[in-house]
Amino acid sequence: MATGAYGAGCSRLIDVRYIYRERISGATSGSEPGAGCHTGAVGDVAQQTGEVEGVAQDLARASLALARRFSAGATMWCASPTWPFHAHHVAVEFVHPVIVGKRALPAVTVPPAADMVATLRASVVPGDIVVVLADADDPRVVDAMRRGPAWGVETVWIGAGARRPEPGAANHVIWLGTERPLEASELFVRIYHLLWELTHVCFEHPGLLKPEPECGSTGDVGSVCVTCSDEGRPAEVVSVDGDEAVVRTPDGQEQIDVSLIDPPAPGDLVLIHAGFAITASAPMVG
Amino acid sequence: MPETTDFLYPFIEGDETDSGTLLEDLARSAEGKWAQSSALREATLTRCQAQLQATAAAMAERFRAGGRLFTFGNGGSATDAEAVAHLYTQPPSGRPLAARSLAEDQAVMTALGNDVGFDLVFSRQLIAHGRAHDIAMGFSTSGNSENLMRAFAEARKQGMLTVGLSGYDGGRMAAEGTPVELCLVASSDSVHRIQESQAALNHALWAGVQEALTSPG
Repeated sequence: MATGAYGAGCSRLIDVRYIYRERISGATSGSEPGAGCHTGAVGDVAQQTGEVEGVAQDLARASLALARRFSAGATMWCASPTWPFHAHHVAVEFVHPVIVGKRALPAVTVPPAADMVATLRASVVPGDIVVVLADADDPRVVDAMRRGPAWGVETVWIGAGARRPEPGAANHVIWLGTERPLEASELFVRIYHLLWELTHVCFEHPGLLKPEPECGSTGDVGSVCVTCSDEGRPAEVVSVDGDEAVVRTPDGQEQIDVSLIDPPAPGDLVLIHAGFAITASAPMVG
Repeated sequence: MPETTDFLYPFIEGDETDSGTLLEDLARSAEGKWAQSSALREATLTRCQAQLQATAAAMAERFRAGGRLFTFGNGGSATDAEAVAHLYTQPPSGRPLAARSLAEDQAVMTALGNDVGFDLVFSRQLIAHGRAHDIAMGFSTSGNSENLMRAFAEARKQGMLTVGLSGYDGGRMAAEGTPVELCLVASSDSVHRIQESQAALNHALWAGVQEALTSPG
C-alpha cells in the first residue's frame, strides 16, 4: 500500500477527541469523517480499549504467588527476548522500589543476548520465579517455560494477541486480547507496575504468605498424596550413561533408570516414577 | 513500621489464613488503578495534543535533515529510553529511523560513571556523538535529574532539538530557563501512572513523526 499505515490526506495528527468519541460510542472505524486517520499505528495509539476484566483476577493470583515465593527467599528472573526493555523494567521495579521504605527484592534480567534456557538452567534454584514477556509462539520462551516444573520454579507469562500460550504452559498467564503492538506494549507497563504494587500489598498479610502445606505435613496418617504415589514427577536429564541417567527435579538430582524409554539426551524432559523414567513427554504445569 | 490501617485487617498479626478476601481486594485494587491509568492517559494526550503536533513536526524536520534520535533516562526511565529507541529503529509499521539509547551500553555507562561522575554520563556521550541536526530526548518522572539537565544543556549547545518527558509538575525540565525546548508532562504524583502515560505520549509522538514524514514538505 503506497500510503503506508497513514491515510493519505489525513490532516489531523492524533485527534484524541475523535478517538474517544469513537471509543465511547463503540462506532467502528470508517463510520465518521477522518476515519482514515485511525488505521495502522496512529489508530494503535489512539484506540486503546484496555480491557482489565480477567486480567485483574490473574494479576491478583500471580501477585500473591510472587509474595509467597519472595517471602520464602526466591529470586525473580525476568526475560523478554523480543522486548528486553520490558524485562529490564520489571527487574528494576522490584530491585529499586519507587516508594521509599518498600522492600528491595532480588530480581534479575536474563541478558537479552544470552541463551535463555541455558542461562536459566544454570541460575535458577527450586522456589525461584521466572517472569517472561513474550508472544505465545516464541520458541525460546516456550522451551524455557515447559521446564518450570522440573526446575521447581513459579512461572508467569505476560503477553498479548489472539493466540494464547497452551493451557498449563505457565503457572500464571496474564494475557491481553489486543493485536495492536503499541497498545500491548503500553499495557504491559501497567501490568508489571500492578504486579509490583499488588505483591507489596500481599506483604502486609504475613499470615497468607506461609508456605503451602507440604505432602505429609497434614497429619493425616495413612493417606498418601498423588505427588508421591502414582503420578510421574517432571525431571530434566542432566547426563546419560547407558540405561542410567542423572536427572534434575525440584528435590535435587536423582539417579534413574531410562531403559523403559528411548535413550534420552541431556536437556530432555522426562516423567519419572519409582526410579524409572516412564515417558519422555514434555510435562506441562499441572 | 507501624501501620495506622491495622484495624482494617483483623488478621494483620499473622494468623490470617483465608486468601479469598485478599484476592478479591487485590483484583478490585487492580481495576481501580487501571481506570486511573486510563483516565490520566486520556487527560494527558488531550492536554498535550497541540504540543505533540509541534514536537512531531520539529522532530520530523530533524530526521529529514539526516538527524538521529538519542534517548536517555535513569532506572525505569532508562528502560523507556530503550523502548523508544527500539520503536523508532524497528517500528511495527512505517519508516525505520536512526535512534539509540545512551543508557544501554554498560561499558560506556560504567566508564563515565566511574571516571567523571554520574551527573555526566549522558552529556559526555552527546559531546562524542551529537551533531546539530540530532534530537536529544530525555525521560524523567520528577523532571529534576541532574544528569538529564546536563545532557539537555549540552544538546542545546550543539544545536540539537531537545525534547523532554516529565511528570508531577514538570520539575526543572519544565521550569523557566530550562534547556528543554519541548517538554511533555504527565501530571500525576504516582511514578507508575506517570510512566504509563509517558508510554502513551511516546507512542503518540512516534506516530506523529511517522505521519509528518509521509506528508509532503
